[in-house]
Amino acid sequence: MSSSTARHARSTQLQSAVQSPVATGAARALHAVAGRARYILTPLVLLICGGLVLYPMMFVVAESFNTGEAGHFPPSAIGLDNYAEMFEDVHILENTALVAGLAAAMAILIGFTLAWILTRTAIPGRALLEQLIGLPYYMTPLVGALSWAVLAGPKTGLLNQLWQHLTGSSDLLNVYSPFGIAWVMALFEGTVAFVMISATMKSMDPSLEEASRVMGGGKLRTILRVTLPLVAPGVLSAAVFVFAEMLGSFAAAFVLGIPARFFVITTAIWEETLSFPPDYGRAAATGMALFLVMLVTLTIARLVLRKGSYATISGKAFRPRPVEVGRLRWVLQFICWSYVGLAVVLPLAALLLTSFQRFATVIWSQTHFTAVNYRTALQMGALGPAFANSLILGLSVATIGVCVVGVLVWIIYRSRTPGSTLIEYVVMFPQAVPRMVFGLGLLWAWLNIPIPIYGTLWLLGLAYFTVFLPLGVRTLAGVVMQIDPGLEECARVCGASWIRQMRTVTLPLMRPGITAAWLLIFIASVRELGASIFLMGPNSKVIAPQIVNTWLASSSELSAAMAVLQTVTVFIGVAILLRTVRRFYGAPM
Amino acid sequence: MNSASSATPRIEVAQLKVHYGDTAAVHGIDFSVAAGELVTLLGPSGCGKTTTLRSIAGLETPSSGRILFDGKPVYCSAEHRNVPTEKRGVSMVFQSYAIWPHMTVFDNVAYGLRVRRLPSTQMRQQVEHALDLVQMRAFSDRSASKLSGGQQQRVAVARAIAFSPEVLLFDEPLSNLDARLRAEMRVELRDLQQRLGITSLYVTHDQEEALAISDRVIVMREGRIEQIGTPEEIYAQPDSRFVADFVGCANLIPGRLREGDGKLSFETEGSLSLAVAANAALRGEATTLALRPAFVTLTHAGAGQVPDGIIGSVHRRMFHGDYVQYIVDWPAGKLIVRRPPTEVFAEGSKVIISFSAEHCVLL
Repeated sequence: MSSSTARHARSTQLQSAVQSPVATGAARALHAVAGRARYILTPLVLLICGGLVLYPMMFVVAESFNTGEAGHFPPSAIGLDNYAEMFEDVHILENTALVAGLAAAMAILIGFTLAWILTRTAIPGRALLEQLIGLPYYMTPLVGALSWAVLAGPKTGLLNQLWQHLTGSSDLLNVYSPFGIAWVMALFEGTVAFVMISATMKSMDPSLEEASRVMGGGKLRTILRVTLPLVAPGVLSAAVFVFAEMLGSFAAAFVLGIPARFFVITTAIWEETLSFPPDYGRAAATGMALFLVMLVTLTIARLVLRKGSYATISGKAFRPRPVEVGRLRWVLQFICWSYVGLAVVLPLAALLLTSFQRFATVIWSQTHFTAVNYRTALQMGALGPAFANSLILGLSVATIGVCVVGVLVWIIYRSRTPGSTLIEYVVMFPQAVPRMVFGLGLLWAWLNIPIPIYGTLWLLGLAYFTVFLPLGVRTLAGVVMQIDPGLEECARVCGASWIRQMRTVTLPLMRPGITAAWLLIFIASVRELGASIFLMGPNSKVIAPQIVNTWLASSSELSAAMAVLQTVTVFIGVAILLRTVRRFYGAPM
Repeated sequence: MNSASSATPRIEVAQLKVHYGDTAAVHGIDFSVAAGELVTLLGPSGCGKTTTLRSIAGLETPSSGRILFDGKPVYCSAEHRNVPTEKRGVSMVFQSYAIWPHMTVFDNVAYGLRVRRLPSTQMRQQVEHALDLVQMRAFSDRSASKLSGGQQQRVAVARAIAFSPEVLLFDEPLSNLDARLRAEMRVELRDLQQRLGITSLYVTHDQEEALAISDRVIVMREGRIEQIGTPEEIYAQPDSRFVADFVGCANLIPGRLREGDGKLSFETEGSLSLAVAANAALRGEATTLALRPAFVTLTHAGAGQVPDGIIGSVHRRMFHGDYVQYIVDWPAGKLIVRRPPTEVFAEGSKVIISFSAEHCVLL
């Protein structure tokens, strides 16, 4: 019988594995090497990641205390002058707080309303709306700011043109204002609030509310005494998180603030660096202040979330029983579609309309459509290569990044390697660093190293790789942690070696996560602005800063065409992403 | 069991200790499993049973001790020997089933055979044979992610036996099934194990399951072995209060052991004197007597003389279908009694309680 042959084969194999001194010796040596490799691996990973992340930051710290010759390392004189100077311009700090506060408040209001409507009520078209609401995030604040500038800029804005044409009176809206900046930030960066708050609402066990109803609590009482307290920590931590994001936001404040000479911290750093002579010291001090405030707020957000973790209860996603809203559902549906209109349809329509005209107008009799902007964007000396460079960077950073992230995720979450928590901390650190400040540090770091990569795509690639590590790790970790360790262990029990187990079980199961991480890094790279603006050189132009430069130097029509090109590229990536996710999980994200 | 296998057990665990960080999960346990035997590790969650099983599979690294297969160490702390899982030749059914969702049923079952590079015709034969044994052949080409819990369980078993392993490990394989399916699978697993004669080690926290399918049961508690024995021994002769309480249901009656007119008797709180058949217990010491509810007989008072009968009254009656459970007031407090549904005693009625001395186990 075959079983006895197999059994015999097994015992011989077992015997050879156990008794042959050579085999045991080799196995033991291998084991020892593997064991030692673990101890080498951790410091090695820490050294590389730490170097990538912390080394540039050291230059920012040093420069912020540099009172001698600007941009000279190590500084010839040290002092607190840069910090003192920063506080002389208190209005910049006030502006920042005002814009970030306004934007965060609006984002939370929008996010909470949409999250509640989409997770807790039975309105028609919920699935479609949920996908559409994610789109503004992929459109980026830069494209959002451009499109709203095109829509509601004083005099030339399409909405203002229309208003003037219809009523004859002056401007209806002015988006070049603190409120305009906050509005655009809330629309295009507030999606994070929606995602975080709906996650909290979805993870709440509906029986907690049902218990309140059963005990005789009315609808209102249940909402006030049970629902709100349960979601409060989630909402609060989302608010703090979004506020920190807004503090470090650059694009909207730049596009809409510079024309009105309204500065926030990020645009002030840009101004200080590019003014002549550049005030690097002050830029570094401002950057440090921004970094510290963001670090503190993000830490608070984490603490709030951990302390209030009773809201997430089991971590399991429930589909709560939707509240019956009766006729109110038309109103709620209208609210959702209004958001989609203001953050997706209207901006994209405005950009398209503008990009196909020589002088943008919304008055139909005056329109003159042309494709010249696209021709210029793709042909003109500097712009075509910028588009190509962004694609090259996106493809290579995503590909290399995913491989490295795969190894990191395995070390952090599966290998039981000592010090894996420390690695996680270091790898996730760039989250707290504003990308502008990081770009500045990287600039100085590589100018002061005799490796000539400044002004090349290599430096940009390195910057993207470092700042998108947390994104990749988080995406892949989500998938890896869902894989039952039993699936891997079972392969070993069936007799597979580690390599075979990785090839036949682990990697195939990780594939959707790898695809998602690849696409997210690709999308993030193609649209990157904050770090690129300092790191791009004359021969290494990339798309987002190039759009900004075009906006500043030439026409809004040309920059609209470029923004459309960038958005189309990103949307193609998103479409593939959503398809992949749906194929593997059977449901949209 | 033949004499050869009892000389060298298929699995032998000696002085096994497992630590997680500073906490010990298993405190130096010893046991063995003979060829063809099904032994169960039974205990509440956190008693170290799964840790022990995983150490035998090589999925957990013990801190010290020895694990031997057919007398040859696969783990030995003194010799720094730790044979990797895939070289141990064991097979395992996981609690989560661990069915690979990205493969078909066939590919799942064929995995161990492919690893062993079997020729494809022979592999196909063995996979089909294994699927036949669990009645899942019709599902062969089905994607594994589209199976119900019970079907996944069957595929997990087929996968575990397909490559004819010498040792089969079960990690709470039935705990995710509903009660009915669990009872059904219990019979099938035992059938399969007997038919194939595979040496099996089975982990469960369900005492009923352990008693039903095992040749021998090892009761564990807090990383130590409380008792090893056949299901009958464990049930009828529990060694400790823990075993009496955890395995099956038991009345634990506190009292003292007395000796009078050459006969042993057990004196309970209500100065009730019970005849016991103890051999080595200490006289005079406060101790506990265990009495299984199913071993107690009830008779209607006034129905006639019952030797050594004790008068009590029915406090509460609960109908369970297969049996009726009574809580009876008697001189020593409350006594739980289980009777077949053919015998009915009304609540409040007087009954005569009787049981034989050999069922009174002194702990």
